[in-house]
Amino acid sequence: MKRFDYIRPGNMDDAIAALQATEEPCVLAGGTDLLIGLKTRTVKPQCLIDLKGIPDLDAIQYDNGFKLGALTTVRDIEVSPLIREKIPVLSEAAATLGSIQIRNRATVGGNLCHGSPAADMAAILLAMNSKVEIATGNGARTIELDQFFSAPNQTALKPNEVLSQIIIPEEIERFKGIYLKHGPRKAMDIGIVNIAIVLDADAGSGLCNQIMIALGAVAPRPIRARKAEALLNGAKLNPEAIQKAAGAAADEATPITDFRASAGYRKDLVINLVARGIDQILKSNCT
Amino acid sequence: MGRKHQIQITVNEEEYDLLVHPNRTLLDLLRYDLGFTGTKEGCDEGDCGACTVIVNGKVMTSCLVLAVEVDGAAITTIEGLHQGDELHPIQQAFVDSGAVQCGFCTPGMILTTKALLDEMPDPSEEDIKHYLAGNLCRCTGYTKILDAVNSAVQLLK
Repeated sequence: MKRFDYIRPGNMDDAIAALQATEEPCVLAGGTDLLIGLKTRTVKPQCLIDLKGIPDLDAIQYDNGFKLGALTTVRDIEVSPLIREKIPVLSEAAATLGSIQIRNRATVGGNLCHGSPAADMAAILLAMNSKVEIATGNGARTIELDQFFSAPNQTALKPNEVLSQIIIPEEIERFKGIYLKHGPRKAMDIGIVNIAIVLDADAGSGLCNQIMIALGAVAPRPIRARKAEALLNGAKLNPEAIQKAAGAAADEATPITDFRASAGYRKDLVINLVARGIDQILKSNCT
Repeated sequence: MGRKHQIQITVNEEEYDLLVHPNRTLLDLLRYDLGFTGTKEGCDEGDCGACTVIVNGKVMTSCLVLAVEVDGAAITTIEGLHQGDELHPIQQAFVDSGAVQCGFCTPGMILTTKALLDEMPDPSEEDIKHYLAGNLCRCTGYTKILDAVNSAVQLLK
């Protein structure tokens, strides 16, 4: 690692001020992605600004829906009794990220800000219609998480801004959800394709009131499969409708071929996983 | 640039006042500055779990932690488990079960097992596999390691 300075501000205002006052700064959260970047020298900051000195930035709050501080660890999301009770699929998605050692360190905000198209927390939070609160030098602004991702490893954060909170709407608690991560092993790997689905359907009639489908690792950023959702919203969830929507989701995906999988295989996976996900939600009585 | 920082940490219940460069990892600090070479350097990118240590009760891969980040923390390495000549029950279980082959993954395996059993004294097979998934053993000794964890559960009861 090259040398750099280290600052640990005690509040958000000081963190923003430090971002403005230092040359080539870089924000440090859990560090599980950043330290690899520092070691491989793909990131070469002159100064690290560690957010872990800011009180309560790692708090899980519940007040008409969840508010997750950006530094909430992925492990805290995995084991939080309140999250397991109200939105268990978020806890299930968290449990698929890295290993226990990584989840004890990695933060939800860091996972989003790293901007990986395969980020586990990104797909599931995107499917939940989450919003993000961003601290700026001039108060805070809140945007849809869907507006937050711009390109691989790029987000809507401006140089002097810090992601402070993730807001999950309360209505999600009546949805059922599933997170499917396809890969050769369960731990310590990013997904070849990640699918997050949250669904509100009538158990009796099989009518879909509302569905949200998010796709990870199949586009330059995590995306919502809006066309597939539109096909199902208000429709009856029969096998033909599900298959058609799964095909539409694959059409919305623009995957690349890399050492993990070919683009064609990823598209096929989208079809199978979207259909399987909806099917599994309908068959389960959980959430 | 890279001014040193004063940190105070406790390693295996002994206090250390140290001056560290911000780019020093906790792994390098433990191994090269303090001599706790039981903490192994494997992949150096958080994938293998060989450098696992317990920081304030939580397992972490010390290669992905900067020493300056853990100012004030209490750290346990493999050297902190035994009591005099007595091995810790988890260490004894690993020996008795034949769960140590080359030994390189063993400190990380044992510390992760300790964190698991502190959290869940009676874990299921699935709990154990989920918890130990970030510790790789290239001697393919996982069966014996699972035996060792189950045996440790009994020893600690």
